Amino acid sequence: MSVGFVPGSGPLHRAHPFTPLAIAASTAVLAFALPVPFGPMILAGVLLLLVLVERAPVLKPALLTALPFWFFLYVIHGVFGKHPVIALGLSARVFAIVLGFLLALATVHPGRLVDALAERGVPFSFSFLLTATLQAVPRLRARATEILAAQRCRGLRVRGSIWRRAAAVIPLAVPLVLSAVAEVDERAIALEARGMGGVTNRTPLHPPPDSAVQRLIRWGLAAGTVTAIAVRFV
Amino acid sequence: MGVGRRDGHRNCREIRLITFDRVSFTYPGADRCAIENISFFIEPGSVTLVTGSLGSGCSTLLLVAAGLAPHLTGGTLVGKAVTLGVEVGAQAAHRQIAGRVGLLLPAPWTQLSGVAFSVADEVAFGPANLGRPRDRIARAVERAMALAGVSHLAERDPTTLSGGELQRVILAGIIALEPEVYLLDEPAVELDPEAADAFYRMLPELAREAAVVLATTDTDRAVEVAARVILLERGRCIAQGTPDGVLGSEKTVSASASTTVAQIAHAAGLSGPFPLTPEALALRFNA
Amino acid sequence: MIKITPRLLALIPLAVGINLALGQFAAATSLPVFLDTVGTILVAALLGLWPALLTGLVSQLAFTVISGNATWLAFLPIQLAVAACAALAAGRGWFRSVPTVIGTGLAMGLIAASLSWPISYLLFGGVTAGGVTVVTTLLNGAGVPLKWAVLAASLSNDLLDKTATFFIVRVVLVSLPARAIGRFPAAGRALGRA
Repeated sequence: MSVGFVPGSGPLHRAHPFTPLAIAASTAVLAFALPVPFGPMILAGVLLLLVLVERAPVLKPALLTALPFWFFLYVIHGVFGKHPVIALGLSARVFAIVLGFLLALATVHPGRLVDALAERGVPFSFSFLLTATLQAVPRLRARATEILAAQRCRGLRVRGSIWRRAAAVIPLAVPLVLSAVAEVDERAIALEARGMGGVTNRTPLHPPPDSAVQRLIRWGLAAGTVTAIAVRFV
Repeated sequence: MGVGRRDGHRNCREIRLITFDRVSFTYPGADRCAIENISFFIEPGSVTLVTGSLGSGCSTLLLVAAGLAPHLTGGTLVGKAVTLGVEVGAQAAHRQIAGRVGLLLPAPWTQLSGVAFSVADEVAFGPANLGRPRDRIARAVERAMALAGVSHLAERDPTTLSGGELQRVILAGIIALEPEVYLLDEPAVELDPEAADAFYRMLPELAREAAVVLATTDTDRAVEVAARVILLERGRCIAQGTPDGVLGSEKTVSASASTTVAQIAHAAGLSGPFPLTPEALALRFNA
Repeated sequence: MIKITPRLLALIPLAVGINLALGQFAAATSLPVFLDTVGTILVAALLGLWPALLTGLVSQLAFTVISGNATWLAFLPIQLAVAACAALAAGRGWFRSVPTVIGTGLAMGLIAASLSWPISYLLFGGVTAGGVTVVTTLLNGAGVPLKWAVLAASLSNDLLDKTATFFIVRVVLVSLPARAIGRFPAAGRALGRA
């Protein structure tokens, strides 16, 4: 299962990156603020509709993420706790949050988000950290695989009893960390050489267009979310 | 010292882009200097080769000249190093030189920005960080990609490139900064022979508007473009001057620090100064 | 507060990569630990509080984005608490010996469990992705009230995980070459050498 940006041409793909993010964020809050079970269920329904309109391929990963939750929620609350309605509400809560998040991930291109944030004056260091991390993770995973392969050639066993598996962690962790530490200074020099140590604000390369309608939608979402919190908790 | 004087250059003033006056540098925790008592200067429009065996201090010399050692590496600097009118090691010196010096490191993978989703954006990373206007960035990126020979890769995802492609993309990223001086550390080490030849043919083009300092052990190719050579050994400068004077000397050739052609001429029993290039060798035979 | 230097920009993505690579190894080999805070604790030992907090934040965000599972974000307070406590422990040189490391790891496990328990119980009805829920379900099925089942499951996991993680970070710190220790002065203090 792979999650993340999927190219497309639906309304959310064309939207300013902040719009799908606002939808995901208000979903995450509303899923807790709206009363169980019908609030989260309606919310999940609305998101399902958005996903269908957008033709974003997120249903399968959303189900795969939500299924284990559903199973345990059903066993714990439905069977042991004898409250199937609560299990249903909690299941809808998890599903709505997962769906909203995956929809934002699939429709917001990270590069466009970086540009949108730079345009609004958010320090580039923060978007740099997140984006650079997302590119570094597969590299380090690949390196971990290489290290394990090399250690296996030298006789390391990574299968078998729990002690044997636990003992394999050290020969993996030490080279992984040492190689990373050795790389830090060189990366820092390269970043500084390309203007990352400066004080100037970064130029957004392709600032995404925004519109009055989208701004209105985002403010509406914010206002609705705040109202829901106020009604529920105050 | 210096490259042959070029009268009439930039209002007849002799501009020195980089001046080292008895500069020594020691890394933190190291027991000996990485470079020791080095003096030289770099003029606009020049191509200078810094060479020596592995660990002789060529990379450190570039880092100091770029204002990044000791700023980023830690360590101690002795002597006076001035880059683009700014004294290295002074307060906030690196900020004043940021973007005006184009430093290229040998390993392209560690220089990938990690935030670009196309090669064109990777090349634009530096000038965008410096806050330059978008139209200037666009022009600089286009020219840089053409010079580095990566225009055809513009739309590619930079994480899917080969080592050679990546090295040229990072080079384009440095050219797009439009620096006043290039400091290139083994810039062709990942390139295949053909691409390396193309890179060295392009260097004089870079030097037209800036100066180029090239640190490499690939002396065979470098002598074709360099007007000046600084030869280092264990951090000390053991000779500097014209390529023929430095690399053609008996001492350099017998220490195996010269070009392949010079080594062959030496082995064949010719007397010094030794020819450095195939053309020079042919001239010697025809004379 | 914090100045984000190029060195930090270079280090944090690598530290988070270590978190995720080791976390993936632990999950793939079915070890009863997460090991997903090794990088964060390492940054705490090498550079101190603020860099560690930043690493914890980026790590949880990256983990959430990569897994596509938004519910992970609710557990951000645990990453931050781990980062803060690890920085505190490093500042006092508690990486200096195996007994101090085990003691710190157990204390940290206690703190992490006391945070993860209310989050998973109150927000998600005791259900979280991962092996913890299996333990919760078994205990709950055996008649333990849900609240205590969640606590017991979180506690057993976190005590083991944080002790193992601190131990790994100590082994790594000890094996750092002298030159690297020279570049990260706080590392010497974490090992009680200064």
